[in-house]
Amino acid sequence: MVEEKQILTKNMRDSKYSGDLKAYKNAGGFNALDTVIRKMKPEQVLELVKASDLRGRGGAGFPTGVKWSFMPKDTGKPSYLICNADESEPGTFKDHLIMMRDPHLFLEGMIIGCYTIDCNTGYIYIRGESQTAIAIMEKAIGELYKDKLLGQNVMGSKYSLDLYVHPGAGAYICGEETALLDSLEGKRGQPRIKPPFPAVSGYNSCPTSVNNVETLACLPYIINEGPEAWKAMGTPNNSGTHMVCISGHVEKPGVYEVEMGVSLLEMINDLAGGVRNGKKLKAVIPGGASANILKADEADVPYEFDALMKAGTMMGSAAVIVFDEDTDMVEVASRTIRFFNHESCGQCTPCREGTFWLKNMIRDFLDNAGDEAKMQRVERVSANLIGTTICPFGDATGGPMGTFIGKFPEDFRKHFA
Amino acid sequence: MVGFSNSVIKEVDELFSRYPVKVHALLPLLHLAQRVNDGWLPSGWDAYVADLCDTTVNHVRGVITFYNMFHTKPVGRHHIMVCTCLPCGLCDGDKLLTHLEERLGLHPGQTSADGLFSLEEAQCLAACDKAPLMMVNDKLHENLTLEQVDNWIEQARKKK
Ligand SMILES: Cc1cc2nc3c(=O)[nH]c(=O)nc-3n(C[C@H](O)[C@H](O)[C@H](O)COP(=O)(O)O)c2cc1C
Ligand code: SF4
Ligand code: FES
Repeated sequence: MVEEKQILTKNMRDSKYSGDLKAYKNAGGFNALDTVIRKMKPEQVLELVKASDLRGRGGAGFPTGVKWSFMPKDTGKPSYLICNADESEPGTFKDHLIMMRDPHLFLEGMIIGCYTIDCNTGYIYIRGESQTAIAIMEKAIGELYKDKLLGQNVMGSKYSLDLYVHPGAGAYICGEETALLDSLEGKRGQPRIKPPFPAVSGYNSCPTSVNNVETLACLPYIINEGPEAWKAMGTPNNSGTHMVCISGHVEKPGVYEVEMGVSLLEMINDLAGGVRNGKKLKAVIPGGASANILKADEADVPYEFDALMKAGTMMGSAAVIVFDEDTDMVEVASRTIRFFNHESCGQCTPCREGTFWLKNMIRDFLDNAGDEAKMQRVERVSANLIGTTICPFGDATGGPMGTFIGKFPEDFRKHFA
Repeated sequence: MVGFSNSVIKEVDELFSRYPVKVHALLPLLHLAQRVNDGWLPSGWDAYVADLCDTTVNHVRGVITFYNMFHTKPVGRHHIMVCTCLPCGLCDGDKLLTHLEERLGLHPGQTSADGLFSLEEAQCLAACDKAPLMMVNDKLHENLTLEQVDNWIEQARKKK
């Protein structure tokens, strides 16, 4: 039986919790920042984060402490921490929950992160459609300035920090960290060729770290309780708890906080109430539209970065999308490719052209004009997207599109002419 | 008239103070320009905003056309975005869209002749557990039934 944890969601699960600064402080908020500012040097915080094995919750699962240790010091340039609150991966809605219900938890984490990398100006990049989240974050930041938790001399120390919200304007690709940086610089959001990596040359050509909302929200607990307490949850190399978004054909869609490494199948059944209307499970996408689909008999895997990678897919942004037995995978492939075609930034030929042709070919199947040759062509074009593009969007399209056909050929054959 | 009023210029200056370079404020500036223009960017505003932040009009046009939320044609007073992306698509997102198309006599991308409604098909809006859903201007309408949608349309027409 999988059980919910309440590490990150402790406050927000209380329906009376208002999320304002007073409520957050009453719940013990800003103790971690107090410890950090008064008792710790940035290097000590960095060591602690490294020791926790915390891995980024934005999609790639890169160790946060290691990422920060790549940032050069004494370059004479300012360092920047940019929070990625773009949250656009289909199936993902946890970062919004954090921002709307417990904004100060995330802000405390962000201030700790800024202190650690010696950053005096940080930006929170929130997707432009989310005016509600933007307003809540602006208000929360205002409270912090009033309370001297932001601005000159944070908590009376020598450390100063300004935080600003930056609105996106409706482009999924701006969640990719280098596209996000271009977007923040007032440009079209097109991914940059790496290297240089943002740690060396990111925002305004300065050392930059891009971190996800939930990643930063883990920091207060890690500081308060120590890295060992964090590592006591989850599995080796996949430490702590995380917030999983379950959507699609389940009885109780929503966000559930669990330890890393619980069974994906049990999570769907025990927490989300199983497949809705008593239907059988056909398949599940474990990490957003960018992750390869798993058949029902593959779904009993530990839900963590490493085990899912081994299973040929990924945990991505922890977006679990559930499909019941009546689902037509041609329909699913069609929605997926329409999304990726709409959102391709257009820089790379395999991505720009590939998503376009894939969309047209899948439409043929929807029109019951498929055939064996077209199936092979879809697989070939999908494979051509993998490893041939500037950013991981190519892989994120090619992988899932190839897998729909590879794992559910009979669904496509039903749409032959 | 093209150009921000004096009271809005204060907001513009506050925006510029947030960034090391003026042009970095371009996205928030364009949002602001849309806010004072009923949700879209009439002609001339691209050049005006370009001037404000020391960049070229072509740079600004490139940005406007890249992002979904910037409109160069009028949108309805109620700009409706219906999510038909993958998770919502599994939970009646399409039914909602078809229903709205029928009731409003509009297809995605169109604005009603009276300027009251415009319709758009949206990609995932980060609220998939509350499907089916639509966003009207800034507000999310979640877990919708078709009756609720009809009521909402009726209210919107009355308020006109
Ligand atoms: C196409 C694409 C979209 C992405 N979208 C997001 C997003 O919406 N939010 C996010 O935090 N990371 C997203 N990422 C991952 C970011 O590039 C980056 O790895 C992440 O923000 C780093 O934060 P973390 O180390 O805390 O995970 C996306 C990546 C790609 C390739
Ligand atoms: S892979 Fe696609 S989204 Fe990524 S840079 Fe190339 S064209 Fe743009
Ligand atoms: S798919 Fe509609 S909100 Fe995510």
